[in-house]
Amino acid sequence: MKLIAHLEELLYKAQTSPVQLKLKVRDWRIVVHETQLTSLGIKDSAPGSVYTPPSYHQGESGEVVIIWEDGRLSRANVQAVSGKNAQSGQEQLQEWYQAAYEDPDGREIPAPEAIPLVAVEDRAVQKILAGEDEILFEQLSRLLKDRPEQAEMQASIQAAWGYRHVRNSKGLAVSYQESQYALSYSFDSLVGGGFAKRRLISEEEWVKTWQQTLAYYQAMQQEGAPIGPQTTVVFSPGVVDSFLGQFIVPNFVGQSILEGQSAYRVEHFEKQEQVFNEGLTLVVDPLRPFELGSYLVTSEGIAAERTILVQKGVLKTPFLRVKDAHRWGGKPTALPQGTSGLYLKHDQEGSWPEVLVGIEDGILILSVLGMHTQNSTAGEYSLSAPQSLRIHNGKIVGKTDVKLSGNFFKDLKSPDTRFTKSELETKPYLLVKTGLQTL
Amino acid sequence: MNQNELRELVDQLFKESQNEYCIVRLESRREWGMRLSNGRFERVSSGWDSGIGVQAFTQEGASGFASADVLSLEVGRQVMQRATSLAERNAQIGAECNREILKAPRIEEDAEDPRVFPFEHFSLAELQTKVLGLHQRLLERNPKISWQTSYRQVEDLWCIGRSDGTRVSFVIPRALLMHQGTVRENERAQSTLVQRSGVDVGILQLEQEDAFLETKALERAEFAKAVCRAPQLPSGHYPLVIDYGLAKGLAHEAFGHAVESDHMKESVLGEKGKLKKGLKVARSGVQIIDGPLVGDWAYQPYSANGLKRETVQIVKDGVLLAGLGDIFSAEEAGMEVTGAGRAESYGYIPLPRMTNIRLIVDQAIPIPQAPSLREEIRQVREVLKEKGELREEGKHLLLLGYRGGQVNPKTGDFVFQCDGMIDLADPNLPVYQPSIFSGKILSALQAIRAGLGQGCYDAIGTCGKSGQAVPSSGGSHRYLLLEQDEQVSLGGEQG
Repeated sequence: MKLIAHLEELLYKAQTSPVQLKLKVRDWRIVVHETQLTSLGIKDSAPGSVYTPPSYHQGESGEVVIIWEDGRLSRANVQAVSGKNAQSGQEQLQEWYQAAYEDPDGREIPAPEAIPLVAVEDRAVQKILAGEDEILFEQLSRLLKDRPEQAEMQASIQAAWGYRHVRNSKGLAVSYQESQYALSYSFDSLVGGGFAKRRLISEEEWVKTWQQTLAYYQAMQQEGAPIGPQTTVVFSPGVVDSFLGQFIVPNFVGQSILEGQSAYRVEHFEKQEQVFNEGLTLVVDPLRPFELGSYLVTSEGIAAERTILVQKGVLKTPFLRVKDAHRWGGKPTALPQGTSGLYLKHDQEGSWPEVLVGIEDGILILSVLGMHTQNSTAGEYSLSAPQSLRIHNGKIVGKTDVKLSGNFFKDLKSPDTRFTKSELETKPYLLVKTGLQTL
Repeated sequence: MNQNELRELVDQLFKESQNEYCIVRLESRREWGMRLSNGRFERVSSGWDSGIGVQAFTQEGASGFASADVLSLEVGRQVMQRATSLAERNAQIGAECNREILKAPRIEEDAEDPRVFPFEHFSLAELQTKVLGLHQRLLERNPKISWQTSYRQVEDLWCIGRSDGTRVSFVIPRALLMHQGTVRENERAQSTLVQRSGVDVGILQLEQEDAFLETKALERAEFAKAVCRAPQLPSGHYPLVIDYGLAKGLAHEAFGHAVESDHMKESVLGEKGKLKKGLKVARSGVQIIDGPLVGDWAYQPYSANGLKRETVQIVKDGVLLAGLGDIFSAEEAGMEVTGAGRAESYGYIPLPRMTNIRLIVDQAIPIPQAPSLREEIRQVREVLKEKGELREEGKHLLLLGYRGGQVNPKTGDFVFQCDGMIDLADPNLPVYQPSIFSGKILSALQAIRAGLGQGCYDAIGTCGKSGQAVPSSGGSHRYLLLEQDEQVSLGGEQG
């Protein structure tokens, strides 16, 4: 029996004809993922090593939320029902009931809404999981064949496909197919390229990503000139993504703001404070086709819609789950999946090739060490960035090791910060004036 | 599923197996958890996560891996078949073959359960009452701070079998209580996190009696307030004192990863793919040891490949002696097999990893017990001064609280972050904002000159190597002394 069918039946019966009165369910919701995943890898330039063999995983898992008749709430992570580990339905209910707790704001189960159509499934990925996986092996061979001769390569290719089911006691019943594809590779563990969406990579994307990574790798073979006081710091889209994950996502969680654990307070949003540069917009957009952060409906049953968090630098709303929205006095919002689905835009963005040409003295930061150790609420960063690339008169010319110190909130507020569109990634490049020293 | 049932299932899977050489990993994991924020429950949850992972090998040594989240004979057979066919496919593409598993010794052992209290000693409802009580004590003592408390207990049963008849089973129990405080001062916010770990609910009972974590949380929150008001430190090179949490970070990030056998082709401690045994990496008297400790957060008595986990003296008297080798890459890396393979779960390929890594210095300076953090820091200053170890001109910095770190084993670059810093050279013990502690692995090790206080090995974390999340732990003396070194620096404002 499928997990979703088992859970639906169990909870419907516990709601309408419970075996024990104590275990009577008032309301419930379920989210279940059925997933198949396959992956291939390269370690130290060798394909399919003992640490990266061709792999396959199949599973069903999800979460159940129950509002009991006494008004208390339970949450449980659930897994496939067959096998020796499966509990009987009544045993499960008993265990979930034991885990019940008081949460007056968490009792709301939303009524169904119209669900938008969002492209989150690529049939080509489904075919791979159905056995037509030659394309992944070809991609693996291509990586090995094209790699720079002297480089030690690490790589991973992953494809996943499955169903997502969302149900609740108010009549919501949504099931849809979704896919994921991810490619990543690195040369000498110093510079890497990658792609991750809900669809396969196109030939054009493959070539452009490869060429860019190769160009960075070649530039790294030479030492760059020392940095100076006028050197402009350029955060690559990957680094901007890390900054957003460390400093923006945790501070925009509604619950953290309500509990005083964020850099922002409720009154900052009430007063619509200008916290960032006035050209800056921050949006959660789950409607973009084939993006990893896109979805049709949240696990709580909220239909996907675009939510503006910051408009023209002004705070509009945090991310609000159903419970937080209740406390906030607003509607639940769209939710990012990590930093996927979160988009940072500026109304004056150049394109990277044009902007690069205009940089006389700069340094491109491709990766940093220690981002996860930074204090999210303060916005301050102190990071090491070995293997960064020097820019001289519009050209990338060699590597150098630097360390950075500054405040990401101030970077986003500064009128000197420039935003530059990336052709290959959804996050922009950021040109900032920040603390820069030789490592 | 209990351990007996896991063992039976492993035996059944191999009994009728027509497949090629396989390593079968069965895992049954149960978790209860709860989180409170400012007096209210945010979440209470229960869950199971169990399944089977199989790594199959062709005769030539090409491998394939498959997993599923159902523990049954039928699914187990399907997973074994799938892994075998992936191994055969892998052989066709010219995969790198590895037959080292055939040299592994056959073992049939079941480890003892290190718990005193069984998983269900208290019901979830009783646990809620206990954790709420501890949380409320904290709120009462300082209601101006935003407090979060979380508790989780895990029962992780494993049974690993191999085609050569090996079958090991063990339980990894874990319990963790955490308090996180967020303070605001001068329009700045700062958070602090303290943890107490063990194998069972006993940690809650201990906490009820001694309020160890509660006191630590309050002291660290006061320190976080001071950090909010503190200036930045000019960047540069300083003599340092680091607490044992940071020392664990140093041993783990800056050293342990560089001696793992799968990294040797790219490690700064490798040469032509072999561990540079005999290399002088630290001063005489510096020892680095890794191995499981019963009752510890990162305890694991057997590797995920079914070998006994050894305790390894990595550095002896400052000389690199041994590495952390798993069965697949130890020989190639020029080191012994130490059973170092660990995986996040049945669904992942095991990799060589640390368990509990500790850094010990023969030259240990005792420090007296202190009633508070502030007093302890004052005593550290006094002891250093008395022993002639304090640099009173310029700055002598004590780094407090480990926030995590990262290393690039190829280049030898590492970074750590702390909660804040105190200048021991100044009798007023001024506080500074945290800044990145970075440098080169070997320079940092060479800079270690002495230990202060007794061994503390319960600093915990989660190792994120290759995208897996595996518990890690370790420590050192209560504090470690590092000399000023041009290759080890603190970030901060331009000096």
